[in-house]
Amino acid sequence: MVNYVIRRLLLIFPTLLGITILVFAVMAAAPGGVGASLLSRSGDLRPEERAAMERYINERYGLDKPMPMQYLRWLNNVSPIGFRKDENNEDAGFGFKVPDLGMSFAKNRPVTQLVAQALPITLLLNALSVPLVFILSIVMGVYTARFRGQALDVGIGTANLALWSIPTIWMGVLLIGLLASEEYARIFPTSGLESLRADRWTFLPVVTEQGWQRGYLLDVVWHLVLPIVCLTYTGFAVLTKLTRSAVLENLQADYARTARAKGASERTVLWYHVFRNSLLPLLTVAASILPGMLVGSVIVESIFSIDGMGRLVVEAVQLRDREVVLSITLITSLLTLLSYLIVDICYAAADPRVSFE
Amino acid sequence: MQQRIGKRDLILYAFMVAVLISIWLAMVQIDRQWQFIALTQEKLDDQTRDIADLRRQFRRGISVSTETAGAGDPNALPDSWRGFKRAVAATEMPDYARGDWLVYSFSSQVPSLTPYMSGDAYASSIQQWIIDGLVTRDPVTLEWLPHVAESWNISEDGLTISFVVRDGVVFSDGEPLTAEDVAFSWRFVMDEKIAAPRARAYLSRIDDVTVDGRTVTFRFTEPYFGSFSLAGNLGILPRHFYSKYLESVAAAEEYNTSTGLLLGSGPYRLPSPTAWKPGDLIELVRNERYWGWVPAPFDRRIWKTINSDAAQLTEFKNGGIDVYAALPLEYRDLTQNEEIMKRTRSYEYYNPRGGYSYIAWNNLRDGKPTAFADRRVREAMTYLTDRERVIDEVLLGYAQPANGPFNPLGKQADPSLSVRGYDLDKAKALLAEAGYLDRDGDGVLESEAGEPLAFKLTYPSGSDNYKRIMLLLKDLYVQAGVLMEPDPVDWPVLINTLNTKNFDAVSLAWTSGFEIDIYQMLHSSQTEPGGDNFISYINPGLDELIETARQEMDEEARMAIWHQVHREIWAEQPYTYLFRTKSLIFADRRIRNVQVVRAGLNEGGLWNMPMEWYVPTDAQKYSD
Repeated sequence: MVNYVIRRLLLIFPTLLGITILVFAVMAAAPGGVGASLLSRSGDLRPEERAAMERYINERYGLDKPMPMQYLRWLNNVSPIGFRKDENNEDAGFGFKVPDLGMSFAKNRPVTQLVAQALPITLLLNALSVPLVFILSIVMGVYTARFRGQALDVGIGTANLALWSIPTIWMGVLLIGLLASEEYARIFPTSGLESLRADRWTFLPVVTEQGWQRGYLLDVVWHLVLPIVCLTYTGFAVLTKLTRSAVLENLQADYARTARAKGASERTVLWYHVFRNSLLPLLTVAASILPGMLVGSVIVESIFSIDGMGRLVVEAVQLRDREVVLSITLITSLLTLLSYLIVDICYAAADPRVSFE
Repeated sequence: MQQRIGKRDLILYAFMVAVLISIWLAMVQIDRQWQFIALTQEKLDDQTRDIADLRRQFRRGISVSTETAGAGDPNALPDSWRGFKRAVAATEMPDYARGDWLVYSFSSQVPSLTPYMSGDAYASSIQQWIIDGLVTRDPVTLEWLPHVAESWNISEDGLTISFVVRDGVVFSDGEPLTAEDVAFSWRFVMDEKIAAPRARAYLSRIDDVTVDGRTVTFRFTEPYFGSFSLAGNLGILPRHFYSKYLESVAAAEEYNTSTGLLLGSGPYRLPSPTAWKPGDLIELVRNERYWGWVPAPFDRRIWKTINSDAAQLTEFKNGGIDVYAALPLEYRDLTQNEEIMKRTRSYEYYNPRGGYSYIAWNNLRDGKPTAFADRRVREAMTYLTDRERVIDEVLLGYAQPANGPFNPLGKQADPSLSVRGYDLDKAKALLAEAGYLDRDGDGVLESEAGEPLAFKLTYPSGSDNYKRIMLLLKDLYVQAGVLMEPDPVDWPVLINTLNTKNFDAVSLAWTSGFEIDIYQMLHSSQTEPGGDNFISYINPGLDELIETARQEMDEEARMAIWHQVHREIWAEQPYTYLFRTKSLIFADRRIRNVQVVRAGLNEGGLWNMPMEWYVPTDAQKYSD
C-alpha cells in the first residue's frame, strides 16, 4: 500500500511536466501575441500607443526570447527548487526558494493574488451546489429505482432529462428576465453577490425603526439563489440515472433477497443493505469533484456578474495571458491527480475486493 | 464498524456546510466593518487636524477673501474662476440641491484604478473625478478655461508654455497642491520604472518641466499643435503620496502591481486612497476639501459591474442604474416603452471621443503593389460602399456617414466636402479605367493579366453588427463584379496581421477627438514596423501637409492646412471612411440639467468639467 502510494506520488511530477508543456505549446502556437490583447478591449485603437505598449510588454516579460527559454523561465519560477534571485533581480545561486506563480500580463498583478480573490467565491458556489446536486440526485435515484416503471420514475426521469437539455446560458437570462425584473416578478436580484450597502449591515437580520432589514447573511443567500439554481439543474439527470441503475442492480442481488427472507422490511433492505453498496459507482464520479470545485462555471459567472475562477481562466485564455493559464493549469492538474489518488485509496477502503498489494 | 450513511448523516453534513459557510461569511463581514471603522477613524483624525488648523487661523485673525464668499452670480465671477461659470449657473437654479447618489454600470471589471496602470476607458472615466488638470474647456465653445492653473502663457515659437498654479488648491487629504506637484506628475510618468508606456508615448514630447514659485513651465522638443492640451490636461498627482514609489525598483513594482492607489484634488475621492481592488464596488465620495468654486453636487458616484447585457438591461429597467448607454436596438425599443420613458429621459449625441469606423486598403502585400494601390480602385470601392444603407439597416439610423478622419464637431474638417453616395455606374467606370473589366463573361472583373478582382476583408470577430455590415458590403461589391470574402479574426490575431501587413483590406475604428493627429496612420514614415500606417500608403504631398499642420501653432492657419489635408484624403481615399455612431443614453428623470452640448453630455467627457447635474431635494433617492 505505502509502496503504491509513493509510486503514484512520484508519477505526478512527470505528468505535471507533460501537462504544462502541452498547455504552453498550445498557448505559444495560438495566433496573435500576448501583448496585442492589451491594447484594446473594445476594438478601438488609439494611435501612438500601440507600438510603445507592445515593446514594453515584450521587454518586461521576456516575450522576445525563444519559446523553450520562456518555458524554462516559468518552470524555474514555479518550482520550489531552482535558480534564485535577490531583491535587485541579480542571480543568487541555486537552491530552495519560494515558488512564484508569476504575473498576469493583462492585469499586471501576481497570479496568486488573482486566484486568492476568485477562489473563495467559486468554492462558496460549489460547496453549496455540489452537495445539493449529490443529495437530491441520490434521493431521486433511490426512489426511482424503488418505484421502477411507475409514474414517479417516469416523471422524475423525464423532468431531469428536460432540465438537462436546457442550455444554462438561456436559462440564466430567462431567470433574470422573469424573476429579477420589475416587468414580471422582482423576487431576486439581477447580479452580484450582495446588495449595494450590504457592507454596512449587521450579519443577522434585524428589525429596526425603519422596518425589517435582512442582514448580510440573508442578503448573500438571496443573491445566491439564482446562480445556484443555474449551477445545479443540469447535474441531476446523470447522477440520478447512475444511482438508479446501481440501486436496481443491488435490489436484485442475492444478499437483498436474503435480507428479505430474513424478514427485513423493504424499507430496511433499501436503506440499510442496498443503499450503501450502491454508492460505489458514485465514488468514481466524486473523483472529479475536487478539481471541478476549483474550476467554476464561466457561463453562470458571466450571467450573474460573479468574479470566480471560471471567468478568470477564460478571460486569461482570450487575452493570451500565459502565466495565469499555466499556473491555474498547474494547480488544477495537481489537485486532479491527488484526488484520483485519494479515490483509489478510498476504493480499497470501501471495497475489500480491491487491493494494491 | 458502523459505516452507514443515513438520512441523518446527510442532514448533518448539510448543516455542517451551512454553519461553515456562515462562519466564513461572518468573518468577511466583520473584516469589512473593521475597515469601515478604520476609515471613520481616519476621517475623524482629518477633521481634528482641520479644526486645529482653523483654530490657529482664528488666533491669527481671519481675512475673508471676497473671491470665495458664496457662489452668487455667474457673471460676477472673477476672471480666473471663469471655468466654473456653467456650474455656478446651475447652482442658481431654483430647485438646485446637493445630495443623492449617481449610479452607473460597467460591463467589465476595471483591472486597476491606479493612474496609468489601466488602459481602459472605464478607469479614466473614474480618475477624471479625482485627478485634476491645469485647465478645463467650455463644453459649448470649446474655449480653454482656467482650472487648477489661474492663467497661462504660450511663447511665440510654441515651444514653452507656462502656467500659474492657483493658490489654495488642496488635495483631498488636506495637503496643498503646488507647482512642484505638477512637475512631479510629469517626472513620475517619465520614470522608466513606472509601467506607463502609453502615457510616455505622448508625454515624451515634453523636454523638461521647471518650477519657479507658483509658475510651472513646460518646454517642448518641437512645435506641436497638441502641446497645450497635452500640458494642460496632465493629471496632477500629489508628490507626497506618490514619490515613495520612485525610490527603488521594488517600490515601483509595488506601484505597478497595485490596483487602487488613487489620490487627487478633484471633487470626489475614493473612501480610502489605497484599499480598492478589482471586485469591490467602485464608489467615490464627495471630497469635502474640494478647492473649486462649486462643490460636487452628488454625495456619491457608484459604478456597478454587471457583465451580462441582459442583466444590465434588467437592472436599468428595475431602476437600479441611473445613467445607461444603450445599443441601437435596445434604444429603439426602450424609447417606445412608456414605463421607461416616464422614469427616464433619452439623449442622442455624437461623442467627440467616439471615433470613426473605416476600411483601410492595403497598398503593398508581399512586396508587390495590390489592386488598391491604384487611387481609382479605392475611389470605386468607396462609391460601392453604400454607407447610408449600412447606417439605415444595421445601425437603425443612429450614425452619420464619414468622409474623412476629422470630427465634424471640431473645426478640423472641411465642411464643403461631400460624402460620396452609392454609385454603381461611377464605380464601374473607374474600375474600367483602372483596367478591370469582365474579360471572360463570368460576371467577375479581371485585370489585364486575367487576375480576378477578389479580396478578403479582415475585421474583428465577436460583434453581430460588424458581421451584418460585412455581409451587406459583400452583396454590394459583387454587383460591380468585385468579390469580397469577409474574414472575421480574433483581436490578438488581427493585431498580428496588422504588424505583418499580411491582409488585403481591414475594417477597424480609430478613437477620435476635436482635433486629432493623423501622422501615425497616414504619414509615409509610419510604414516602418511599429507605425500605424499598416496599409503602406505613401503620398509625399500629404506627408508635407501633415508636417506643416502639426507644427503650426496658430489655430486659424492650422485649420486651413487641416482642411487641405482633408481634401487630399477625400480625393485619394486611402481609407474608405464608414461612419461615426451616436451615443444613446438614458438618464433618470430625477437628475436635472442634463444637456446635450458640443462635447457630448454636459458632464464628464474629455476633460475635468465642473459638475452641472443635480437632483432636487424632494426627488432624491439615496442617502447615506
